[in-house]
Amino acid sequence: MADGYSPKILTGGESKSDDEILAAHDKVNRVSGPGLPGTDDSPLVIMELLQRLRVRDVMRGHDIIAVSRADTMKRAQHLMKLNNISGVPVVEGRRLFGIISVNDIIKALEGGWIDDTCQQHMSTNLVVLEADMPLAFAIKFFQNYTFGRFPVLDKERNLVGIVAQRDVTRVLMHELTNEIAKLEGKATTAPTEKAKSEGTLPYYSMRQFVVVRNDLSTAGKAANEIKKMLKDAGIDNKIVRRVAVAAYELEINICIHSLGGSITFILDTEKATVIAKDRGPGIKDVEWACQDGTSTANDWIRSMGFGAGMGLANSKRVADIFDIQSKIPSGTTVMCEFILAKKA
Amino acid sequence: MNIDDIVKTLDGTLVAGGDSDRTVGSVVANDLMSDVLLNDGEDMLLLTSLASDQAIRTANIVGAMCVVVHNAKPLPQTMCQVADTLGIPLISSPLSKYDSCVRIHDFLESEKK
Repeated sequence: MADGYSPKILTGGESKSDDEILAAHDKVNRVSGPGLPGTDDSPLVIMELLQRLRVRDVMRGHDIIAVSRADTMKRAQHLMKLNNISGVPVVEGRRLFGIISVNDIIKALEGGWIDDTCQQHMSTNLVVLEADMPLAFAIKFFQNYTFGRFPVLDKERNLVGIVAQRDVTRVLMHELTNEIAKLEGKATTAPTEKAKSEGTLPYYSMRQFVVVRNDLSTAGKAANEIKKMLKDAGIDNKIVRRVAVAAYELEINICIHSLGGSITFILDTEKATVIAKDRGPGIKDVEWACQDGTSTANDWIRSMGFGAGMGLANSKRVADIFDIQSKIPSGTTVMCEFILAKKA
Repeated sequence: MNIDDIVKTLDGTLVAGGDSDRTVGSVVANDLMSDVLLNDGEDMLLLTSLASDQAIRTANIVGAMCVVVHNAKPLPQTMCQVADTLGIPLISSPLSKYDSCVRIHDFLESEKK
């Protein structure tokens, strides 16, 4: 090992120059796209969490246990034992030079070089994460590599933290619990009998439903659930029917025309809102699509009783406020609002 | 006209969804579910040839009191399950939709008298 203290970031060949390290480091930013966890049909809450949370949200950024290049392997072993960790980074200031893993310690004990410096035996073939990367990247890295932890660098290539698998699990579980509590909290905030009898609805309720592409066996479930929620809340039957019709049409549209998406339903004291959001491919001519009888449906869709080109037109007809935004290829979002009249 | 009357009039069989004491308020004969959703009629009797879960789900959205599937079409098991879950009477009839419409019309007219 001629100059073992220059780390190779990722597995970018044998060169150890700073420029090449930078170039290799840049590659980290470009790891993206297919195969990332959470980009398939995972539940939306998890998908959004994996994209929203950043590596910096899960990393341990304070009191990073590290050794310097001049420290002995024995000191690294001691630190790992003392802190119950399976690896320590080798740093000078905030600059990362390498990492000492349990494997390196075992080899040092077997080979009799436990009193050598870390610089001589540290692993320099490093795979690093950037603090601003979505958490999905970190999870993918843990799947792709056998390392138990990854150093985290900032944009200036300074070491700012360490991420171990258990850090990801800990934060993800915490956030998921919060999300579930939020959803359940809102969904179960049902009106009281007193509120119903007084005709007031002092509550807020929200639910989200995943709509799977081409799965007509389950399409319509969201609309049926929404209808039940409205009936339970004591909303006027005519409004219930209008909201249910819009939700149903939009749900079917996502199912048969898009790559999949979700229906979000929000109910508060003044209005009911249905938001249908899909992941593409988007509508070329929105105005045309909103006219009666215009459709791009195929025979299969028609054989299932849909594709008459009434979906968007029907939703628009029943809603008090209708809005549609569409972009190719990212997708379409339709919002229907219904003003809740007091029950006669 | 109640469920029992519909079964007798259309030579049908009640196959799922259970009985109900609701009576027919309006009649819609259609295979396009978006068209069905356009109707405002209460206590709808839906006459269709669409033997799928969606016929039942659509019926539920518009608060239909009964669904009749025609030409003795085989009914998917899931369709019957959805009808049971949502409590919508599902009737199978050997008649065509046209013949059903005629018979239903005659029955409702005779009721008026």
